[in-house]
Amino acid sequence: MSSSPMTSSIVLPDRRSGVRDKLAALNWWLIVCLSLLAATGAATLYSVAEGSWSPWASQHVMRYIFALMILIICAFVPLRFWLSLSYPAYFASLGLLALVPFIGAVNMGAQRWIEIGGFQLQPSEIMKIALVMALARYYHGLEFKRVSNPLFLIIPLAMIGAPVGLVFLQPDLGTAILLALSGIFVIMLAGLSWRVTVVGAIMGLVGIVTAIQLDLLKAYQIRRVTAFLDPEADPLGQGYHLAQSKIAIGSGGVSGKGYMNGTQSQLDFLPEMHTDFIFTIFGEEFGFFGTIGLLGLYLAVFLIGTHIAMKAKSHYGRLLTMGVCLTFIMYVMINTGMVMGLAPVVGVPLPLVSYGGTVMLTVMAGFGLVMSTWICRDHDTLRTRMSFYGRIN
Amino acid sequence: MVFSRRAALFSGGSLLLFGGIGYRLWQLQVRDHEDYQLRADNNRFNQRVIVPLRGEIYDRFGVPLATNRQNFRVLMVAEEARDVPETLERFSHIVPVTDDERERVLREIRRKRAFTPVEVADNLTWEQFTKINFDGPHLPGMHSEVAYTRDYPFADEMAFVVGYVGSPNDRDIAAVEENEKEERLLRQPGFRIGRAGLERTYDEVLRGKAGSTTVQVNAHGRVIEEYPNESDKAAQGGTLGLTIDAELQREAMRVLALPLSEPKEGEEPDPVSASAVVMDVETGDIIVMASTPAFDPNEFNVGIRQAKWEALNNDPRKPLVNKPLAGTYPPGSTFKLLTAIAAQETGIKPSHSVYCGGRTWYGNRYFNCWKRTGHGTLNMKGAIKHSCDVYFWDLAQRVDIDKIAEVAHRFGLGETFDLGIGNQSPGVVPSREWKRNYFKSTPERQTWFPGETLSVAIGQGGVTATPLQLAVMTARIATGRQVQPRLVRATGDGLLQSAAMPPIEIKLDDLIAVRDGMNAVTNEWGTAARSRLDDPNWLLAGKTGTSQVVSLQYDASGRLLKNDELPWHLRDHALFVCFAPYENPKYACSVVVEHGASGSGAAGPKARDIMKAVTQKHPAALQAFNPATDEPVRMASFAGSIATGEAEEGSSQ
Repeated sequence: MSSSPMTSSIVLPDRRSGVRDKLAALNWWLIVCLSLLAATGAATLYSVAEGSWSPWASQHVMRYIFALMILIICAFVPLRFWLSLSYPAYFASLGLLALVPFIGAVNMGAQRWIEIGGFQLQPSEIMKIALVMALARYYHGLEFKRVSNPLFLIIPLAMIGAPVGLVFLQPDLGTAILLALSGIFVIMLAGLSWRVTVVGAIMGLVGIVTAIQLDLLKAYQIRRVTAFLDPEADPLGQGYHLAQSKIAIGSGGVSGKGYMNGTQSQLDFLPEMHTDFIFTIFGEEFGFFGTIGLLGLYLAVFLIGTHIAMKAKSHYGRLLTMGVCLTFIMYVMINTGMVMGLAPVVGVPLPLVSYGGTVMLTVMAGFGLVMSTWICRDHDTLRTRMSFYGRIN
Repeated sequence: MVFSRRAALFSGGSLLLFGGIGYRLWQLQVRDHEDYQLRADNNRFNQRVIVPLRGEIYDRFGVPLATNRQNFRVLMVAEEARDVPETLERFSHIVPVTDDERERVLREIRRKRAFTPVEVADNLTWEQFTKINFDGPHLPGMHSEVAYTRDYPFADEMAFVVGYVGSPNDRDIAAVEENEKEERLLRQPGFRIGRAGLERTYDEVLRGKAGSTTVQVNAHGRVIEEYPNESDKAAQGGTLGLTIDAELQREAMRVLALPLSEPKEGEEPDPVSASAVVMDVETGDIIVMASTPAFDPNEFNVGIRQAKWEALNNDPRKPLVNKPLAGTYPPGSTFKLLTAIAAQETGIKPSHSVYCGGRTWYGNRYFNCWKRTGHGTLNMKGAIKHSCDVYFWDLAQRVDIDKIAEVAHRFGLGETFDLGIGNQSPGVVPSREWKRNYFKSTPERQTWFPGETLSVAIGQGGVTATPLQLAVMTARIATGRQVQPRLVRATGDGLLQSAAMPPIEIKLDDLIAVRDGMNAVTNEWGTAARSRLDDPNWLLAGKTGTSQVVSLQYDASGRLLKNDELPWHLRDHALFVCFAPYENPKYACSVVVEHGASGSGAAGPKARDIMKAVTQKHPAALQAFNPATDEPVRMASFAGSIATGEAEEGSSQ
């Protein structure tokens, strides 16, 4: 090929080596841990279906592969682009959430889902990432001395309050609490002074008590909480699930009953064995070694995330990463706590192990942002005004 | 710096909480494991399906034809048996277990989860059952229980009426996938669904409604506590009351199976393969629907052995074919009744006379009458009485084939009936259109040749009918009404209305000429004089039929072979149709004896004996069973067979 002056002046990047460099830039430890979690999920779902790939296990694997591609795509997008997308993403999610009461599907007494082009979406799940993005964006542009100024708390609290309120009305108490907590965690990570935090906590408690007084909580939500406090009181009623779940986990023992040999899981005593109560089946079949191993895997994901947050130079990146990781680990703690009688049964899935498309997608997209932070960890200021194709510092 | 501190704080907090969760896991799975293990064994709450009892089937007087009997069976839970093959071995000392069965049990145990019960053996005797209960400690994991199994007290006598049940297959289960409870019901060990006959058609009625109960069982499968679901109780399936009379059915089966002739010295008797249908001509009730030989549906229920199945399948007498409904035979001379009606409707008078010299020239050859010496001059009545072929060949040249076909359909040939039993054969009624459809490749070349009408006119040449169709034909000739046969006369909800039976479009005189002929067949020294009934109140009018299975067979010297010189399967079919009493018909009957050689010799006497029993008892005049209100007859008090002595005395009203 002869090179004309015109073509030689434009330097095209070598695509192949670019891809290779980019792949090498990924944090593979994180990907391996996430994949192991998804594989655990598939294996357990196979057992829940009494040794069948359908209806859950094969779908779970397909979804994970799709979600992993989303993660890698998100990772390759420069972090400053995510920064500039934070507010639009938040408002879009808020819009979807607001649409749920009008076009949502009623499922088990609650409207949580909307359908978009054949996909069932749970906007409250998307909001978990979008809220963290928006708050990280807010504090990224806020001078540190103003963080503890109550005036500058109004906007972030409103950003948290709007989606929490909408989710609570669906009604989905579990997700509402998770959303509120992850928002508050980001504010605290941003450096909110302890004094303001304590005052806020007291005000929050008063608010919750008032909500109960005013009957804003549905009867079943209160029953679930009270069942958690005294599960043995009503072995065939609300506490039944909890009591049976504990029996299943406890009977697993140190080494478990063996894969596909859970006796309790087969007996239909739990609803949603493939979603919220999957840890129960896993614990019964794999025992103490299995559950500790699984928790270790979750902890590893969390610690890798924390490591990335510590390495990240941009305020946006580290707030975002820490927010995503805390949301993730909260899922795990609430779910496992719930099936062992440490937390109320509020309907929180075990991320990547439970069956469920939206949760998997949001978790993986969230870690895509974390990965983007990892790749751009040395960028400190993230000049948002700069053109997308501009200088790479 | 603030961020790092806070992040470290949150990480530390998370680690702490994880430690808490790990501690909790240790509590549950290590420290308190034994406690939970015990509770797991004791706290297996389970929704159990309560299998409904299948509805019972009774004959017209409340005699049970299909019931449920207790079935002692043994299930095995693999995880409780320390050594499965060893336990099976010990079990086989009490109840013999074949290698095949042992293989099946082991395979099922491998496939299912360790705590799912697998059926090891069923239909145990009381003695075996008590022994197993006694030996319980030496048979870990073995559980004996009482279930219910379908029972057919009449065995082969009712096989084709009632049908049988069998285990649901994958397709049956897939069909109820939408309904989770039905699916669980079909998966219950030992559950059966209707596979054939009325059991199959009325499966939905008979199956009943499954209930459910919440039970708490311990590790040994023993129910600790049961919480019955009051709103979801099981309900037994509905009852069926049939039109069949079990007593007469038994008698008909006995008569049909009688050998046709004494076997020659040192020879096997000829096989007997016969069927009979008796109908109440006023209601269409089928009193007898017998087919011999038959099979024992009880064996199909519990799983028939391969060798037995093959023997049934290879038997030349076809014991698996429901001959009254699915056996098609050339009707032979019985079809002449329809030819006679078609001729009259074409304008031929019953007084129309033909000279029979023993043969007819048609086309380019002679057609031989069955009586080579000829019948002389006959009118229609005489022709039916003597079953003269020449006379009907004469009619065949004056009547159009499509007219004959139309009459045949009007009298039930070529038709199937709503009996509740599928697999009815429609038979064949030849016509121009039928011929075009039958030879599909060249329909335009299929013209009907008048010579073919000659064969059809005497019930050969492709025309075939089932014994049920022949009985319906006879009933319709006897009454002039569109008699519709039925098998089910009542359900648990009460009696069913019999179908409307409007008059057939036909001139009464045309029918009377045919009935006259039939009366002459039996009562005026016609072809079946031997088959008359002596009781003057029950004069029997009939028509014989002998139909060729293959074309005439000659020996090497060119001599026509007689039937008894032919191998059994080449001999002519023997048919007889009749109704009684002649003046005021109540019952119609058809009998077909496969390869019985002669209608008057083989079929007629059997029909006479069956009709004798029927007219003796006259079931239509007796108070019938209403399952909604009446108590069924206890099988023990069922006499079962007609006392022959009484029948000889010939008492009747």
